[in-house]
Amino acid sequence: MDDNWEPPVPAGYSDANRAFIQAFMARGTLTFREAQKLLAAIQSAVSDDGSDDTDNTDPQSITMADFENFIRTAREAVEPLDFDIRNTRDQVRGGGERVWAFINAHSDPATQLGTSRTAEEVAYIKRLLDAMFEKHNTARLEVMAVDEGQALRESRPAGGGRASNVNGNNNDDGGQEEEGGGSAAATSRGLKHSEVLSLLSSLVAEGWLDKSRDGFYSLAPRSLMELWSWLVATYNDADTEWQQIKFCEACKEIVTYGQRCNEPNCTIRLHDICEEGFWRTRGEKKCPKCSTPWEGNHFVGERAVTSRSGFQRGRGRRARRSTAADAADAAEDVEDEEE
Amino acid sequence: MPARRRHAVQDDEEEDVQRQYPQSPDDVDGDGDERMEVVGQRDETSQLIKNLVRYALACEYSRTPIRRDGIREKVLGSNGRDFKKVFAGAQKQLQATFGMQMVELPTKDRNLLTADQKRKAAKSQSQKETVSNAYVLVSTLPEAYTKPAIKAPSKVQSADGEASYIALYTMIITIITLSGGELSDPRLRRHLGRLNAAENMPGMNPNDETSPSEKTELVLQRMIRHGYLVRVTESKTTGDEDATTWHVGPRGKVEVDKDAIATFVRAVYGGSNDELEKKLQMSLKIKERKPGVPETVDEAAEEAPDGDPGPSDRRRGRRRQTEAEDEDDE
Repeated sequence: MDDNWEPPVPAGYSDANRAFIQAFMARGTLTFREAQKLLAAIQSAVSDDGSDDTDNTDPQSITMADFENFIRTAREAVEPLDFDIRNTRDQVRGGGERVWAFINAHSDPATQLGTSRTAEEVAYIKRLLDAMFEKHNTARLEVMAVDEGQALRESRPAGGGRASNVNGNNNDDGGQEEEGGGSAAATSRGLKHSEVLSLLSSLVAEGWLDKSRDGFYSLAPRSLMELWSWLVATYNDADTEWQQIKFCEACKEIVTYGQRCNEPNCTIRLHDICEEGFWRTRGEKKCPKCSTPWEGNHFVGERAVTSRSGFQRGRGRRARRSTAADAADAAEDVEDEEE
Repeated sequence: MPARRRHAVQDDEEEDVQRQYPQSPDDVDGDGDERMEVVGQRDETSQLIKNLVRYALACEYSRTPIRRDGIREKVLGSNGRDFKKVFAGAQKQLQATFGMQMVELPTKDRNLLTADQKRKAAKSQSQKETVSNAYVLVSTLPEAYTKPAIKAPSKVQSADGEASYIALYTMIITIITLSGGELSDPRLRRHLGRLNAAENMPGMNPNDETSPSEKTELVLQRMIRHGYLVRVTESKTTGDEDATTWHVGPRGKVEVDKDAIATFVRAVYGGSNDELEKKLQMSLKIKERKPGVPETVDEAAEEAPDGDPGPSDRRRGRRRQTEAEDEDDE
């Protein structure tokens, strides 16, 4: 490579675009409303001549087209480096607000959720994903989420279990987690309950997990975008009709929160946020595959549990159990504090 | 024709990168092969550059220094000889795409060695290392782009925790630097006490119900591990207590530079005025000293009213002797 090689950048690429990428990477995700504020600040900085003026660009003046321009340019700039920017709608919150995420094109839990985590934590995250997409994702109960008690039950590795390798294809990332990942399975001691709760909380704060009002942890849009191909490759089996991970009949994105066909063996799923538009284009509310009338009262996600009559009673018991677990664990914590 | 075939076989045995390029049918002599090789090399180099860029970003995510050894091991592999070329290319790429640059960390300050270590170093007469071979990523964007609305605290662990962590190490680094680059342990503790941070500090994730705050000691250890602070404990031969002092670590020197400290002080003092600027210039040894103002005048006005003095140049460097006086004047 000669000395005067210059890395290719999109036409018109400027410090404003670089600032946008830096800000995007720090935040991980952006909604349009967040982007309006960010781009207004960047535009003020562009016109700013170094004086201490307050922001003079109104966030409301930033249009979707402005934002999409920045996204397109940023994407073009980072794509050669195996980063990408994707977007999806939030299945649960904000009435399906669209979320953009800065993601690593070669992604698995170890490289992404794991970069600042210990090997034990990475191994736990893998167990948590298994719990969400296998243990608590059956034909009878498609929860695809775990409550706190279920999350705590994964704190220590069980004997056996799925042999899939967390560190399958992260060697090109030069990541921090390499020393941990491979050997973790062999010597794993698991996490203490308090460590699990702290980890869950920070995964929520980083935008990887959502915690619902009823206390269920599920994958946030950021994870679904970042881990999309890893999840499908890990949990879906191409040879069978029944897939662990199913896609919305309308928008073709993963459904972890939505509705399912009343016929238990049918694989048709629909997001709540996609439902209205979907039925509008069809004459009758019937499953497009098996023609079973669609009643919209069979759920994917935590409502598979919470819509059941026994839920309230069960939750009371679960809550008491995990509080007791906490207390026992707190005692354990006092003596060995590392880090 | 036999010659042609031999070429093809040889090529097959060579690296994958070159195999991707089909040979043109009229490539009967060696010329074409050489051209292919150049293309193959460039391709390989840009792959290495890409990997180094990704490695640098991954390191920064966990505040791990980007080390030359790490680059060799995780990025270059068998291409160790290409370090210079790949590194230069990655710098260009980081700058062009992200507005970032790898900046070499300063080497360990000789003053921070304990007497023992100094003796050892003197004995071995070894060449003093002038490079640290460790780098951190810094933003090269103009100052206008550094306001919080753009450069929000990173969401690693939690944006709130990151914000308070940045605030705390910036505060401590500022205090150490304005105290002449060295702060005794009791004095640091007293400052932390005033910040109501003597026992506990906010954790990396204040939303975490199980541990919204952490022991100050743990946070200080994290600051040391991340390279913001250095703690030096010198055991006294005379039977006194061990003397622990705090210094600014290599990452701290790069990330919280003199400009950052000045900006931070201005924010704490609620703005800038001539007197404050004068003190800052003195304390931080910033160049733009106002011409014609004799230094002695500054020194008289130097002691800040609240007891956080900007130290005079006299006090810099070896100030262990003056420590006792300092303890008294508060």
